[in-house]
Amino acid sequence: MTAISADHLRVTRGAATLIDDLSLSFGERGSVALVGPNGAGKSTLLKVLAGLDLPQAGRVRIGTGDLASLPGAVRARMIGFLPQHFEPHWDLLVGDLVRLGAARNPELGVEAVAKTIARFELGGLERRRWSTLSGGECARVLLAMVLVADPPMLLADEPAAALDIRHRLGVIEALAERGRDRLSVVVVHDLDLAFRFFERVVILVQGRIVADAPAAELIADQRLDEAFGVRFERIRTAEGWSLQASKAKT
Amino acid sequence: MRAWVLLGLALAAAIVVAASAGHDWASPADLWRAIEGDRDLRSRLLFDWRLPRVLAAALVGALLGLGGAIYQGVFRNPLAEPYLLGSAGGAALGATVALLVPLALPQSVLLPVLAFAGAWGATVLVLGIARIAGAIDAAGLLLAGVAVAAILGALRSFTMLALSDETVSLQVVLSWVLGGVQTPSWGVLGWAALMSLGCLGLASLLATRLDVLGLGETMAASFGLDVRRFVALAVLAGSVVVAAAVAFGGLVAFVGLAAPHIARWLVGPLHRPLLPASALVGAVVVTLADAIARALLPPAEIPLGLVTAAAGGPFFILLLARRLRG
Repeated sequence: MTAISADHLRVTRGAATLIDDLSLSFGERGSVALVGPNGAGKSTLLKVLAGLDLPQAGRVRIGTGDLASLPGAVRARMIGFLPQHFEPHWDLLVGDLVRLGAARNPELGVEAVAKTIARFELGGLERRRWSTLSGGECARVLLAMVLVADPPMLLADEPAAALDIRHRLGVIEALAERGRDRLSVVVVHDLDLAFRFFERVVILVQGRIVADAPAAELIADQRLDEAFGVRFERIRTAEGWSLQASKAKT
Repeated sequence: MRAWVLLGLALAAAIVVAASAGHDWASPADLWRAIEGDRDLRSRLLFDWRLPRVLAAALVGALLGLGGAIYQGVFRNPLAEPYLLGSAGGAALGATVALLVPLALPQSVLLPVLAFAGAWGATVLVLGIARIAGAIDAAGLLLAGVAVAAILGALRSFTMLALSDETVSLQVVLSWVLGGVQTPSWGVLGWAALMSLGCLGLASLLATRLDVLGLGETMAASFGLDVRRFVALAVLAGSVVVAAAVAFGGLVAFVGLAAPHIARWLVGPLHRPLLPASALVGAVVVTLADAIARALLPPAEIPLGLVTAAAGGPFFILLLARRLRG
């Protein structure tokens, strides 16, 4: 069963085409890594899929319905969105932030909030203000805010990019693990992590999909090298593959 | 909880002090006698003139504090203020027109309606200019607000000069532009109190959505908020509050800026507690400022707006400096 699908999306900003006649679909479960060079349109695509931006042409379907015609409150319960940057305008308490996330679903009670706070190990931080948190703590709070409502679909825009490797590993692993019983689509910059943790990898270049396949197949594909304009040396490790890039020969 | 007790006590104390203060200082015992229904002339003056005036000042302050909290919430900007964003100036222009232009409707209807239209129109204009200029940050909004406020001020001055042929009406408009609480009858005061409560209720309906908006537009949208529609709605609600404040108290600067800040120190930034707390702080501030305005140079009265501007201006400069540095 298809959860989200995009038909012939086109997104333009002024003269620039950010997404160019792009179609793809995701099932109800699975972990998908969205990769590609800078400016490939990954963030734009994710925002359109989340219903936060409207395409100039084409449409996004959710189940059998049209995403654009879905009421905002319903959409917010179905799709969780993790932005690349998050900075609240007011210096709220961690507990208040998680409660605001839970408010998306009026059926969620205090237990859901308490459970989420325990799950993301935020117990000691509940009464702390956002401005006093470290980068890793901020990432955990953001995850808790979005996941407290337990949306069946999660679209994450590289929320771990600015973190140190230990925290990045934790966040990426948590996001990929969600794909076991739900849908988790994540923009990942670190290719090693993308191929190691995600089942499916979609490569985006200049607003088009150049490859979309299971991670295990795509790792050996030349299209990966072409997409990033480098030559990858694929090194077998205990955990999977490690990619070592060097400048492409012209 | 402690913050609310503190705010309640502060307001009670401010009201007692303000009711005592004036050309003729009254002791708390005098006040009590007047409230108990003493028929002595002095008691009646206190009861019919000073007490309603003090309570009206508290209501104007509450509305200003509430309006400021809504504006800061909508614009996600702690420097936003109805006065600085031209909204109060728009209300003043509308009210000036109502006072000076002979129109078919009675003034009691025209004044609040035109004040609201002015407040709303000015805010939408400022928001539009900032949006077109692509700068919805602190500086962009404030600059657009300053420009719009200057234009509206010029229009208002022109209206005043061109349309008032008698000095009496000019005096009325002028005292009102400089900020000053009118002394209402107890009946009018009752209506004003009901309306202020209504404004607080209206604003409280927006509280959670103001919190969500404060997460940033992208996050708010992903949490299901229709950002554009909500901002338009909240600006409308804010304009109602500002128009009510301006209709009763004229142009009183900086209370809308300072009250939410002080309230945030006391109860934190969540809007459910912030909105009523900001109203209470505003009430305390304006009650005291109005007392100073009445008692400083008796028997003359200093315009209330001058007192709040003299105290609030430095507060604003301090905030601006802190913000620009940090």
